[in-house]
Amino acid sequence: MKLSRRIVLGMAGGIAALATGFTTPTFAGEMPAPFDNAGDVKIALVRYLSTGDFFQAYLSGVETQAAAIGVDLRVFDSRQDAALQADMVDQAIALGVDGIIIQHGLTESMQAAAQRAIDAGIKVVAFDVDVENAAIPQVEQSDYLLGKLALEQAIKDNGDSFNAGYVYVAGIAPLDRRDVAWQDIKKANPGIKELAMFGTLDNPIANSVANQARSVLQANPSITVMFAPYDEFAKGVKIAVDEAGMTDQVDIYSADVSTADISAMREPGSAWAATVATNPAVVGEVSVRSLAMLLAGEDPGHNVVVPPTLITQKFLNDNDIKNMDDLSANMPQFAHADVAVPAWMPLPPR
Amino acid sequence: MQDTPITNQAVKPKKTFTDMAIRYGFLLLMAGLLVFFSVASEGFLSPYSAVFIFQSVAITGILALGVTFTLVVDGFDLSIGSTATSALMLSAYVMVVLEMGAVAAVVACLVMGALIGLVNGILIVKMKVPDLLATLGMMFLLIGLQRIPTEGRSIATGMKLPGGETANGTFSPEFLWLGRHRFDFFIDNLIPVSVVILIVVAVLVWVFLELTRHGRLMYAIGSNQRAASLAGTNVNRYKIVAYMMSGMLASIGGILLAARLGRGDIASGNNLLLDSVAAALIGFAVLGVAKPNAFGTAIGALFVGILLQGLTMMNAPYYTQDFVKGAVLVIALVFTFVLTGRRGGSNH
Amino acid sequence: MSAVAVQISGLTKAFGTNHVLRGIDLELFKGEVTVLMGANGAGKSTLVKVICGVHAADQGEIRLHGRVIKSSSPSDAIASGIVTVHQNINDGVIPDLDVASNLMLDELAKPSGGFFLKRNKIHADAEKLAQSIGLNVDVTIPVQELALADRQLVAIARAMAHEPELLILDEPTSSLSSIEADRLFELLDRLRDKGVAILYISHRTSDIQRMADRIVAMRDGEIVGTFTEKPLDYNAAVNSMLGQSMADAHLDIKQQGAPVLQVENLQIRENAPKISFTVGEDEVVAITGLVGAGKSKLAAILYGLEKPVSGSMTLKGAPFAPKSARHAIDTGVFMCAKDRGTNGVLQDHNLTKNITAPFLARYSTFSFLNKRAEDAKTRKTINDLSIVCQTEHDDIGTLSGGNQQKIMVGRWLSEPSTLLILDEPFQGVDIKARRDIGEKIRETAKGRATIVMASEMDEVMEIADRIIVLSDADIVGEHMNQDLNLKKIISEVAGMGTKSDTQKQANG
Repeated sequence: MKLSRRIVLGMAGGIAALATGFTTPTFAGEMPAPFDNAGDVKIALVRYLSTGDFFQAYLSGVETQAAAIGVDLRVFDSRQDAALQADMVDQAIALGVDGIIIQHGLTESMQAAAQRAIDAGIKVVAFDVDVENAAIPQVEQSDYLLGKLALEQAIKDNGDSFNAGYVYVAGIAPLDRRDVAWQDIKKANPGIKELAMFGTLDNPIANSVANQARSVLQANPSITVMFAPYDEFAKGVKIAVDEAGMTDQVDIYSADVSTADISAMREPGSAWAATVATNPAVVGEVSVRSLAMLLAGEDPGHNVVVPPTLITQKFLNDNDIKNMDDLSANMPQFAHADVAVPAWMPLPPR
Repeated sequence: MQDTPITNQAVKPKKTFTDMAIRYGFLLLMAGLLVFFSVASEGFLSPYSAVFIFQSVAITGILALGVTFTLVVDGFDLSIGSTATSALMLSAYVMVVLEMGAVAAVVACLVMGALIGLVNGILIVKMKVPDLLATLGMMFLLIGLQRIPTEGRSIATGMKLPGGETANGTFSPEFLWLGRHRFDFFIDNLIPVSVVILIVVAVLVWVFLELTRHGRLMYAIGSNQRAASLAGTNVNRYKIVAYMMSGMLASIGGILLAARLGRGDIASGNNLLLDSVAAALIGFAVLGVAKPNAFGTAIGALFVGILLQGLTMMNAPYYTQDFVKGAVLVIALVFTFVLTGRRGGSNH
Repeated sequence: MSAVAVQISGLTKAFGTNHVLRGIDLELFKGEVTVLMGANGAGKSTLVKVICGVHAADQGEIRLHGRVIKSSSPSDAIASGIVTVHQNINDGVIPDLDVASNLMLDELAKPSGGFFLKRNKIHADAEKLAQSIGLNVDVTIPVQELALADRQLVAIARAMAHEPELLILDEPTSSLSSIEADRLFELLDRLRDKGVAILYISHRTSDIQRMADRIVAMRDGEIVGTFTEKPLDYNAAVNSMLGQSMADAHLDIKQQGAPVLQVENLQIRENAPKISFTVGEDEVVAITGLVGAGKSKLAAILYGLEKPVSGSMTLKGAPFAPKSARHAIDTGVFMCAKDRGTNGVLQDHNLTKNITAPFLARYSTFSFLNKRAEDAKTRKTINDLSIVCQTEHDDIGTLSGGNQQKIMVGRWLSEPSTLLILDEPFQGVDIKARRDIGEKIRETAKGRATIVMASEMDEVMEIADRIIVLSDADIVGEHMNQDLNLKKIISEVAGMGTKSDTQKQANG
C-alpha cells in the first residue's frame, strides 16, 4: 500500500554490488555456514505485487541486503497472477534454491505451494501474506501501529475531542488493519466524532479522493481533523482542503511517505500535519535477513515486525528534509530497523 | 441538434408525450436531482457546490469530448485514459527530470497526444485494424511506455533516476497555476482553471461539430462511410483527424491532472476511460438525438458529477457510487436504443 | 379459380397519427401469383410487414385456410406457413456460410435440433431441397461467391424449406438483370404449379407482365383496384394505383451537342476490349447492359474511384484522369451512385444534410456553414422534384423509398455539373417517381453531358437520347432512341442474340 520512493539504499547499494560483480564480502569469513561460501547460496523472491513505488523500493531493499550478504538472488514476478505465483514457487524449487521469500499473494493459492517448498527442505519467509505455516516466519509492517501512532499524534495536536473525517475503503487488508486502530481510538476517546467516512480507489486515486473530500468538506464544514491512513488518500484530501480554502482549519494525519509526500507536507501552511511510515526498503532488507537467519539455523521468530516511524511536519521543517535521502540521513530509525540483526549479519552500506 | 425548429412551416408534426419525454427527459431528471439534493443535503445549493461539480467532471469531461470525436466518425478510442496518464507522466518528466518549463511541458504533451492519435488513425485507416483492437493495443502500449523512463516509479522532485542522480527540477508555478488558480466570478477565487478549460473546449467542440462543414462531414462519415466517400469526402483524413483530436484532448486532461496532483503518478487511467466513455454515451440520450454530440457529452459528464457530489455529501459509500454510475448509463442506453427502435419501426 | 388460401379483412395499422393501412380486404388464392402494385408510400411494405408478423395490426384479421392467424413475430408467421423473401438479398442469406447451411439454417435454428452438426445430412437435405425447386448450384460453396441471382434463389429456396402456404416476395428482382430474373420466374412458375399462393410486390413492368395472374393496386393504405381479366390491363392498374392516368413518356430527342466527355481506347478491366465513345453537351446517354457487363466499373472509372487498365479520357478537351471522388466533383463530374441505402443515403441525417453533403465548401465561409443557404437550396430541390415531406429538416428515414431516391438525384442536380453520371437512378421507385426523376434529369440536361446507367429497357427508353449497349466490358451497340429495333438491342444486351426470345417477351 505504501507508495514510498525509498530507493536510495537499494540503488546505491545494488549498483555498488553489481559493479563489483558480487565479490565475496570482506567479512565472509566471519559468517556462519552456509554463508562462508555465500556465492553458492541461491535465494528466490516470488512476488505477487510489483507495480508501484512501494514494491520497487521493497525490491531494492531485498537486492541490497542480498548483495551485502553476497547471495545469489533470483526474482520471480507473477504480476498479480495468483496461480502463476504458486507455479513460480515450484519453479524456484526446481531451480534448487536454498531459500524463498514470498512477497504478498493469496493465502488460498500460496499455502500449498509454501508447504511444498518446506517439504523440499527449502527455508521460506513470507511478507504480508499469511501462508498458515508454523515453519514460515511472517515478516510484516505493523499497520495497526501505523494507524495508532498517527492518531496519537492527532490527539496530541488537537486534544481528545474533535470533529473528524475518515478516508477508508473496506476490503483492502492493510487499510482494514489500520481501521482497527481508528475504531479503538474512537472508542477510547468519545470526544472524537466521525462526521463523514468516504474513500475510493478509482485511479488516479488522489484525484478521485479530492473530488469526494471537497463534497464532504462542503457538507461538514466543522471538520478539523482528517484521518487518511494511506498517502494517496492524504494527497487527495490535501488538494480538497486547499481548494476549499480550509488549509488553516484542517489537519491531515496519514500513513506512508514519499519524496512527493514530503514536499506536500512542507508546503507553507500545509494542512498535512503528520504521517507514519515504514520504510519499504527496510522491510525488504529485514525479509532477506530473516531468511538468512533461517538458513544459518537461527530463529528470527515467527512474527518479524518492522516498526513504523512517526514523521511530523515540524520535524521535516526543522531538519530541512527535502527527500527520502534526507529523511534517512536525519532519522536513523527510518533508515534502518534493528530487526533480525545477529552479530554476524553484514548490513548494506549507507 | 438535428431538428432545429423552423419558423416558416405551417404543418408541424405533432409532438407526442413520448417524443417530449425522450427529448427533455434527461434534462428534467437532472433538474429533479438538483432539487432533491438541495433539499436532502445541506450546503448542496451553493455556488461553491456548483463549481465543485464542474471541477470534479472537468477532466473526464474533456476526455469525453475527445471520445465524442471518435464516436462521431463511428470509431472508438480506448486509449484516451492511458494517453491522459502518459501526458501526466510526460509533463512531470519534462519539468522534474529535464528541468524545463511549463510551456515545454504543455507543448510536449499536446504533441504526444497528437502523435498517439495519428498512430491510432493510421493503424485504423491504413492498416485496417479494427478501431477497438488498435486503440486497445495502444492503451497497453502506453501503460507500459509511461513507466519505462522511470522504471515504474512516480515522478517527484528529489527522486532518484535510474542513472543514480537526483532529479532536481520542480513543477513550475505556471504549470501548477493550471491546476490551482481560481478566477474571480462574483465571488473571489471561485472558478478553477480546469473548469474554464472544460467550458472553452466544450464550446469549441460543439462549434466545430455543429457549425462547420468539417463537423458535418464527420457526422456523414459516421452515418454512412461509403456514401460520404462517394460524396467526395476524404474519409481517411477525417478519421485520422478525429483520433488526433481525441489524443490531444486526452493530453489536455492529463496536463490538468498533473497540475492538480503536482506530481507524476503512475496510473493506468482506466477509470478515466470508463467515466468519460460513460459521459459520452449518456450524451446520446440527453436531447434524444441518439448520436454523439458535444452538448450531450458535457451534460452527461455533469449529470454524473451532480449524482456523485450529492451522494458523497449524503455520506453514501463509494460502491453505491459505482452502482449509481452504472444505473445511469444503463438508463441512458435504454433511452437511446428505445428511441432508435422507434425510428426504425415507424419507417414504413 | 382455385381455393382461397389467405383471407385478409378489415386490416388497419397506424404509426402515431399516420394511418398507413386503412382497412385492407384482400384474398390470395392457391396456385396464383397476385401482384401488389402501389406508389411509394402507398402502404405495401407495411401490409407485408403485418402479414409476416413484423408489425401487429391495429384492427382486422388474417385467415389462412379459414384459421385466424395471430403472428407476433416473423418466426410465428413462418411456423404458420407464411414466408417472406425481403428486398435486400443479404437479409435472406448469411454470406459467409455455404449454400447448404443457408438452406438448412431454419432447421439448425430450431430448438428441437441436436447439439452437434450432422454435416452429411445437412448437405444431403440441402441437395434434395435445391433439386426439388430446380436450383442448380454447388451446395458446398459459400453464398458470397454466388452471383446475385443465385443468392436470391437460395433465399427463396430457403423460404421453400418451410413448405409455405403463402410466399411473399418484396421486389425480388430489384438487383437482378433480365436474364437473371428469368431464372427466378421459372422457379416461381414451379412453385405456382405446386399450389403455393404467391404475393408479389414489384414496380417492374416486365416482372408484372411475366408473372401476374392478378393485379391488386393499392393507394393511400387502401385497395383501389383488382384486375383479374386476361389479358391483364397493366395501364389500368397503374392508373388506379396512381389515382390519375399516366401518359406514355414523350421524349423530345436531342442531338449531341459539342463533345464533353471523350473516351479513347479505354480498357475497363484486364483483357477487356478497348472502347471509345463520346458524350456531348445537352444529350442524355443511357448505357445499358446486364449486371456485370461493366457499367458500374465504367462509372467508377469516370468518377475517379478506380483506374482504367489503359486508355485516356478528356473532359471538354482537357485531359481527364480523376484521382478521387473529390477530384472528380471539383472538375465538375458528379455521380449519383446506385444502391442508395449503401452508397448514398446518410441515415439519421435530415434532408438538407443529405442534399448538401458533397458541396459543403460552397455553403461555408472559413468552414462555418451557412445553414440558411443550405435550407434554401434544399427547399428548392424539394419543390423541383415534388418530394413529399414536411420540412427540409425531416429525417431522411421518414421518407418513402421513392422520395429518398429523389433526394439522392436532387443532391447531384442541386449544383451545375459538366458531366453527370447516374447509376441506376430508378432503382426501387414506383412509376410515378420514375417519371418525375426522369423528367427532371432531361429538363436540366441542357448545358451538361449526362450518362444514365440502367439495365431495364423501359427505363432506358424513357430517359435516353442515345443508347449505348455494353456487354462483357465492350460496346456492342449504339442507337438513337428513335424507331428502336428492340429485338436487336435485346440481343446485344444478352450477348449477340442468345435468349433473345425470352427477352423479347420480357420487354415487349
